[in-house]
Amino acid sequence: MHEVSIAANLLEIVSEQCRKEGYRKIESIHLKIGRASGIMTDALLFAFDAIKTDSLAKDAVLMIDEIAVSGRCRDCGRNFTVEEEYVLQCPVCGGASFQVSGGRELDIVDMEVS
Amino acid sequence: MKVKVAAKILEANDRIALENRKIFDGAGVFVVNLMSGPGAGKTSLLEKTLAKKDGLRIGVIEGDIAGSDDAERIEKFGAPVVQINTGGACHLDANMISDVLDDLPLNEIDLLFIENVGNLVCPAEFKVGEDMKVMLLSIAEGHDKPLKYPLMFQESSALVINKIDLAPYVDVDVSKIRKDALSLNPGLKMFEVSCRTGEGLDAWVQWLRETAGKHRVS
Ligand SMILES: Nc1nc2c(ncn2[C@@H]2O[C@H](COP(=O)(O)OP(=O)(O)OP(=O)(O)O)[C@@H](O)[C@H]2O)c(=O)[nH]1
Ligand SMILES: [Mg+2]
Ligand SMILES: [Zn+2]
Repeated sequence: MHEVSIAANLLEIVSEQCRKEGYRKIESIHLKIGRASGIMTDALLFAFDAIKTDSLAKDAVLMIDEIAVSGRCRDCGRNFTVEEEYVLQCPVCGGASFQVSGGRELDIVDMEVS
Repeated sequence: MKVKVAAKILEANDRIALENRKIFDGAGVFVVNLMSGPGAGKTSLLEKTLAKKDGLRIGVIEGDIAGSDDAERIEKFGAPVVQINTGGACHLDANMISDVLDDLPLNEIDLLFIENVGNLVCPAEFKVGEDMKVMLLSIAEGHDKPLKYPLMFQESSALVINKIDLAPYVDVDVSKIRKDALSLNPGLKMFEVSCRTGEGLDAWVQWLRETAGKHRVS
């Protein structure tokens, strides 16, 4: 629901770096968005397109990698990923003791500039 | 050409949240970010807590999309309160809190509640400078909520299950709420209360007092 403020933060970070490093234009931006981050990628794309006009990123496209929720089981020691946005038990052994390690990402990886 | 960015999209917010936190710490204020879906009973819980505060100096920041109804309810208890209107935004962020810090007598407050915008999803993602997050769920919302909206349950230190007086009228399995919430967050502290009858509120206030007190000593 707050994809607009996420998009605004994103635009600010990339514009600032683009300006500082002396480039004129951002062509694409590569993001990692976790499935448990609460962000819907379609809504983010839509919001970004709406606010990017009049900026260094006005022609930029977002390339989004969706990151599945993943973790490591303390009982059987295995690493796993799940389809859901949450983990209730280890999908391998059913153990209830696990560490969730991925799925909450809202990260900018890199961008194509000119 | 390709350039590395390697940034978290919310790092600006996180940075401001940390600055807020330092100001709160400096003034000896323990801060609770209170979250729930619309109407679960956040303001009611604050009213009940204020009525039992017994020497604890409580302040409140009210976050709503519009209006000042909640701040007016709190003002009746003589507590320092500031209303923030987000003008449409579905959550409070660190900047909004930073903007109102001067409007509160922080040195005269032990415990500050920040009542977030009623929303079961977005507030959980934005740090505002709190020491802990507490969420409410009213039983009328249904027992499927922990698994449908896991993030807030995972991020919170405590879950207040409210409106238990409605149990005879709604088909809800409170033990499922507890079980799923605990699976998502094994350290979650849980309370069952009714802001209508007062049931369970003493345990909540007692825990709050201990938790805020521990903070001040450390
Ligand atoms: N039956 C019953 N009603 C309650 C209880 N707690 C709150 N209510 C009622 O629920 C409604 C919403 O309560 P509020 O305290 O305004 O809820 P809120 O979470 O602050 O709402 P927003 O700030 O608008 O999101 C009010 O009509 C309250 O009187 C309870 O324990 N039992
Ligand atoms: Mg309220
Ligand atoms: Zn296992």
